[in-house]
Amino acid sequence: MREYIIRRLLQVIPTVLLITLVVFAMMQAIPGDPLMALLGDAYDEEDAQLLRQEYGLDKPIISQYFIWLGKLVQGDWGESFISGRPVLQDVLIRLPVTAELIVLAMLVALLIAIPAGTIAALRQNTWGDYTAMSTALMGISIPDFFLGILLLLVFSVSFNGLLPSSGWVYLPGTCPSLICEASVWGNLKHVMMPAIALGVGRAAILTRLLRASLLEIIRMEYVTTARAKGLTEKLVILKHALKNALIPTVTIMGLQVGFMIGGAIVVETLFAIPGLGTYGINAIILRDYQQVQGFILLVAVCFVVVNVWVDLTYSLLDPRIRYNA
Amino acid sequence: MRNAHVLIRSFTILTLAVLLPGLVLAAEPKRGGTLRVAYGNKVSHLDFHTAPGYEMMWVAMNIGCGLVNITPDGQFVGDAATAWKLSDDALTWTFKLRDDAFFHDNTQVDAEAVKFSIDRIMDPETKSGMRRFYESVQSVEVVDPLTVKVHMKQPYAFFLHMLAGYRTGLVLYSPAATQAHSLKARKRGDPSAVIGCGPFRLVEWVPNNHLVMDRWEKYFKPGQPYVDRVLIRVIRDPIAQMVAFKTGEIDFIASFSPEHVQTIQAQVPEAQVLTGPETTPMVLRGKVTVPCDGKPDASMTNPRCPHPIFGDIRTRKALLCYGIDREEIVKVALRGLATPWVGMIPPGTMDTVDVNYMCPYDPDKAKTLLEELGYGPDNPLVTELTTDTEKAVFNAIATVVKDQLARLGVTVNIKLVDKVTWMNTGLKDGPWDMDVEDLLSLLTLDSNAYLTVTQSTWNQTRQTDVTVDEYFARYATEMDADKRRAIAKEFQEFMADKLYWNVVSGSPFFQIAQPWMKGYTFNSEFEVHYETVWLDR
Repeated sequence: MREYIIRRLLQVIPTVLLITLVVFAMMQAIPGDPLMALLGDAYDEEDAQLLRQEYGLDKPIISQYFIWLGKLVQGDWGESFISGRPVLQDVLIRLPVTAELIVLAMLVALLIAIPAGTIAALRQNTWGDYTAMSTALMGISIPDFFLGILLLLVFSVSFNGLLPSSGWVYLPGTCPSLICEASVWGNLKHVMMPAIALGVGRAAILTRLLRASLLEIIRMEYVTTARAKGLTEKLVILKHALKNALIPTVTIMGLQVGFMIGGAIVVETLFAIPGLGTYGINAIILRDYQQVQGFILLVAVCFVVVNVWVDLTYSLLDPRIRYNA
Repeated sequence: MRNAHVLIRSFTILTLAVLLPGLVLAAEPKRGGTLRVAYGNKVSHLDFHTAPGYEMMWVAMNIGCGLVNITPDGQFVGDAATAWKLSDDALTWTFKLRDDAFFHDNTQVDAEAVKFSIDRIMDPETKSGMRRFYESVQSVEVVDPLTVKVHMKQPYAFFLHMLAGYRTGLVLYSPAATQAHSLKARKRGDPSAVIGCGPFRLVEWVPNNHLVMDRWEKYFKPGQPYVDRVLIRVIRDPIAQMVAFKTGEIDFIASFSPEHVQTIQAQVPEAQVLTGPETTPMVLRGKVTVPCDGKPDASMTNPRCPHPIFGDIRTRKALLCYGIDREEIVKVALRGLATPWVGMIPPGTMDTVDVNYMCPYDPDKAKTLLEELGYGPDNPLVTELTTDTEKAVFNAIATVVKDQLARLGVTVNIKLVDKVTWMNTGLKDGPWDMDVEDLLSLLTLDSNAYLTVTQSTWNQTRQTDVTVDEYFARYATEMDADKRRAIAKEFQEFMADKLYWNVVSGSPFFQIAQPWMKGYTFNSEFEVHYETVWLDR
């Protein structure tokens, strides 16, 4: 198992490097550079030229990339061209916020998907199935931002501020700045709507997947055998069928993390949450290459690590899966 | 146009109606509390002499102090200066400073600090966006600790306007703090490096999230500021801003999207909707020249040739003057909240002149001009209109223009890009035909110069007519106000005739305040000060 984990983590390195190289090249291909954003209405070609030299933006793209990479291996993630702030510090401040949002959104997704998918499979072609599938279709069809706005209108506006519409309260002990609020209840109130907005779409996908997977499993011979042994239907479904049916669901969950980071950009912007999503989108808008690289690097590492972890959970769901070297 | 005036007037009346009771109560401002402000954009960095963007400026005005400020009716009031005088030859300004102004590092605001700050802005090494406005300045002389003289190369009628309200205005820096800390420290917002002499001192800045300023106890205006703290939060989405406002999470939206103003009025009828005559032009421009060799040439050192479509004044007249219905654009895209306008400076800018009569909507005349140019069913004119995603209204205007020009048989393809791409195309002499934007809030016609003079990077239409430069120079150096107004009128008529810089309307600016926010003075984008604000919760 240990060897497997090490091998998988080593595979991360070329993957991440390739991603950063592609992103670096793509960012350079987009018109404009960070100096447009840095100088704004004060933009002057002469000043911009001097600053380009100062920041090394006049060098060939490949040189710029290797300079960045050289610093990275020494633990220096660079500094924002615009604000001059260290990238590593800024992304690490924001990572826990987005991680919490994604974990809770995934929890929302599972809390909806597991019962809905199971009911839909066990009651195939009944009203329960149709209801679950229609709801899932709606969930997939509603964009995150639209659901977010609906939630805002209901829970913040109609219920007169029952849930806060924007901002963030940190969990106790995680406050990254001088001025910030920290409390468990406050945090829960702030994360609830964004997590639902982000989780519902994923719940819909997982519901459909779990239904299909469970429908296949419950027709398999080992499930018939379990029933023939006289096990209760509850035990057959929960212990034998559902566990196996969850393997493809868990795989998709891992992949969904990547989509959720994309969704987090929208949801964090809507709810003004100081997470990685808002950081990333601002970096892209302002062409702040250092920030974009830091953002992408962190997201790529998180994505790969989550998927390694997902692979490892297979053995918990199906003991026949082993990770021997 | 009448509708627009009625609407603007009704907003002003509403604003006054809400503010007047506040003004009565303002006799006894309450101290304390936190003013919670929403900004729609992030602050880029905190070196005020070099950072761009209104959000930064609105921070700079509260952390920093300058020599003078300007009131909404155009009067100058002292900031760190108590008195100022211009010599008879209009070549020397003398400023007397107050003796009780201190920077946040406890050093005194003195003549040395003024000289240090102006010299720093004028130093090309600083790369300050304000440098261009100091071109008339020869030198700064320290007479005594509380007297400073600014020697001019030539008379400059707008020197005080510039010090007060061009971009940040003059923000004084503490020489000691500036020399003790690196530029990097200031840019990233280290509180010990960002030292001003304004009513609030910086406590913390977390980019993209929040900025906190606390009352500076040694601020020179007695009793001010009234609030203990200002907490600025970045909330980009206007709907999220609106919801946060309705639920009372924020007290003030520093810049609110015009397309949602009517909604917030319906949702929160007691809200103070602050606005005034527009000071930002909404432009619809055509590129006038292109490089003859086809290679982008931002510095315009190589020969220029007329743009294949808009290089001919008849096309500009047909499409930008007679071919567009400004009233309809305002009604549809701006919900009637702006003034249809032709002049190069909007209705709220000093010395503005209504030249709308020069470009009445006249599609027949436009068609005739197009036929003269050889365009018609057999040779349809196809052009591209570039706009950016910074404000939703730009695309709405582009869509209305597309529809209006289609009525003339002209096909307009809209190209929607992000702001940086738009800047890149315009500033680097890239290929474009028409664009829609709202550029910059203009205190004076003079402040438009750097967007229009022939050799400016921001002369995006790349017009090469030096008459424009001459007009700006004459206007800026004429010290007689009446003569200056006459030049301004002549100049605006000239520009409306040549259409080097075409305007469709003003770009309305709205601020939204809770009913309990008192003492704030609306002064467009030029002056956003929180020291007089108090909370009557």
